[in-house]
Amino acid sequence: MAVVNTLYDVGARDENEDKTGFAHLFEHLMFGGSAHIESFDKELQKAGGESNAFTSNDITNYYEIIPAQNIQTALWLESDRMLSLAFTDKSLEVQKNVVIEEFKQRYLNQPYGDVWLNLRPLAYEQHPYRWATIGKDISHIENATIQDVKSFFKKFYTPSNAILCISGKFDSDSVKEQIELYFGSIPGGLKPARHFPAEPHQNEFKSKSIKRDVPANAFYYAFKMSTRKSTAYYLGDLFSDAIGKDSSSILNIKLKKELELVSEINAFITGSLDEGLFIIGGKLSENTSFDTLDKALWKEIESIKKKGFGKSKLNALKNKISTAKAFQDQGLLNRSMNLCYFELLGDANGINEEEAIYQSIEHGDLLSFAEQILVKTNCSLLKVHQNAG
Amino acid sequence: MLDRKIAPLTKKIDNIEFICPRELQLNSHAKLFWMSDVPNQTSRIDLFFDAGLRQDRNIIASLCSSLLLSGTQEKKSTQIHNEIDALGAYFDIGLSHEGVLISIFALKSNISESFKLIYSTIQDAVFPEKEIIEVVNEKRDKFKINLSKVGFLAQREFQKKIFFNTPYKELTELEDFDNISREDLIKFHNKHFKNGLSRIAVTGALLEDEINEIKDLCTPNCISKKLSYYTNFDNKPGVYHIDKTNALQSAIRIGRTMFNKTHEDFMDFSILNTVFGDYFGSRLMKNIREDKGFTYGIGSALAETGGSGYFIIGSEVGIQHKEASLQEIQKEMKIIAENPIPEAELSLVKNYILGQILKLADGPYAMMDLYLSVDAYGLNMDFYNTYINRIHSITSEDINKMANKHLNWDSMTVVTSG
Repeated sequence: MAVVNTLYDVGARDENEDKTGFAHLFEHLMFGGSAHIESFDKELQKAGGESNAFTSNDITNYYEIIPAQNIQTALWLESDRMLSLAFTDKSLEVQKNVVIEEFKQRYLNQPYGDVWLNLRPLAYEQHPYRWATIGKDISHIENATIQDVKSFFKKFYTPSNAILCISGKFDSDSVKEQIELYFGSIPGGLKPARHFPAEPHQNEFKSKSIKRDVPANAFYYAFKMSTRKSTAYYLGDLFSDAIGKDSSSILNIKLKKELELVSEINAFITGSLDEGLFIIGGKLSENTSFDTLDKALWKEIESIKKKGFGKSKLNALKNKISTAKAFQDQGLLNRSMNLCYFELLGDANGINEEEAIYQSIEHGDLLSFAEQILVKTNCSLLKVHQNAG
Repeated sequence: MLDRKIAPLTKKIDNIEFICPRELQLNSHAKLFWMSDVPNQTSRIDLFFDAGLRQDRNIIASLCSSLLLSGTQEKKSTQIHNEIDALGAYFDIGLSHEGVLISIFALKSNISESFKLIYSTIQDAVFPEKEIIEVVNEKRDKFKINLSKVGFLAQREFQKKIFFNTPYKELTELEDFDNISREDLIKFHNKHFKNGLSRIAVTGALLEDEINEIKDLCTPNCISKKLSYYTNFDNKPGVYHIDKTNALQSAIRIGRTMFNKTHEDFMDFSILNTVFGDYFGSRLMKNIREDKGFTYGIGSALAETGGSGYFIIGSEVGIQHKEASLQEIQKEMKIIAENPIPEAELSLVKNYILGQILKLADGPYAMMDLYLSVDAYGLNMDFYNTYINRIHSITSEDINKMANKHLNWDSMTVVTSG
């Protein structure tokens, strides 16, 4: 098998605040036929391939998994939709409906489904991370016009804004020729400039409560942290593993097992390209109040900052990262996506350097990360209250 | 000059090399499989126990599998998990009606240690009261969350009707969480974990000695009789609705009793299923998502059980589109039974399925999984070669015949929720 992966340097953060959800809606339209090809999927399936895509706040990523002897088909398809899309009214109308159903299925018709729709605008005030990839509101998708779609394509879907990775077992010379053949003649275009409003430095605690039909009260503490390129990203990743990845993590042992205040608690980072978030989230046990949890959580955070968590814990975390990385690396699709992503960060070779960065982290680095990031004035808290009865 | 309207020539897939793992007999009923050709540092050990939901009340089987690593006479759960972490190992526990699958993932330098640690912890589990309470609370909370999802509600009702009049129809209810004794768990554990190991699958470049050690450790716990599964399912047809106020979408589940890989119609029906609802360009997706925009996704599948199987269509549609979606699904069943499958569509599906098989056979882990999924039904890798031949030879008439035989709306269990 082979994988053809194409990353476009466009995500929800590139949207106009009155037209959110666009990058993602656009991803759907990329499967609706291109200038010379009526059906993308049909042609790919004929060649024994399959395809999918995802949109994040930062990027839009497309891939084809295809028998290695048919790589050319994927290049033909991917290059034609980079050259130009078909843009039909019917395709736009249908995909608007599909995305609206997706909005309902994933964000509105699920318990806690709208957490990120509320947490983002609480944590971010200026940066476009304040809306989710699905969009701020269904009406933004309903109002999308064919003209909007065309100008979005023209601006962002150019070779100068894309990274291509082909992986698998094949003759690289002949594949290079094919790339030249299919992509060589597409006008390079201009790399779109980005000028986001700068997110002001947060210096006070923010909190918001919402009431929903949910089975348990839930809490989400969001702390602003570094950009993806900073080494603090790796500290945040490792620190979140230490305090809230699984049942042996510190908050799980303390707040769930010992104090029985929560039925569930996790910590993780968003890992976004611009200033990301460090999240501690979970659900309260039946008789615990938000205040009780809040006091216990801060007490625990302060205690970790002071005492740390021992050398053996840090080694275990690093060992787990090595194992996880070895498993990730043996999947072709994973490697292809990662290569494109590291190239976007500045150098594809970063994929080979990541492991060493994790291994070099010292206990003190993690504690100074916590000292800096896990403070109240840097925190936004979303509370989801259970509707009475 | 490049003519972009012309598709590049494609090469057909006609030959896939299937590799079998080595097979070692543990006793007269249990086996160990070993796929040693892994070109990197990773390794995985899968343990299959005959400890599925069908052996007892759902809640007992489910709690028992969740509490396997929660404590022994010597060690508390925190210590166990710290030791697993120190080895950089991961594990995963899966439960179905038919069994429990425990997978251990680690670098090959640590896999033997990880295995010994996890295996002895499972065998020596004592089910501490405090841990039971904790897991019960956790499961109860998750269960309550699930009860507020239309998909979950529809799936429950579907299960009741698809496994009608058999023990498989049992659903977990809220009160079950208050009705558990530690003794029940210990009894279940003795019967199905201490004496219920049915298969081991090792994938990784381990040493011969390591394999022998695993074999010796496991043999005393192997199952002593042939696995037996329930075979006589007969779904209860009809239309059922589970109300859920304020829902924005309706969940739809439609299906009927079918069969597993051992049935003569399995291959033809699988190909029919792909055309009908099992890929992005399927009839259901084209009509209900890509033409009407009623849903984010719709699909169908042939789900297998140890002794039988069932067909299922699933989707979540806008609440105002529920009736129209049901009508369109019914219409599609009629069309695929009565009209020839256009040549272009059939040949596309054939190529697509062959590509999928190639993908499913890519790499040692995938190959092991392919092997396990035929071995479970007493078949071997020949199954895939026969399937590939059948994909090449099947005709439009064969597919119509399958649809006529198995896809009749009146025989279906139709469940909606929302």
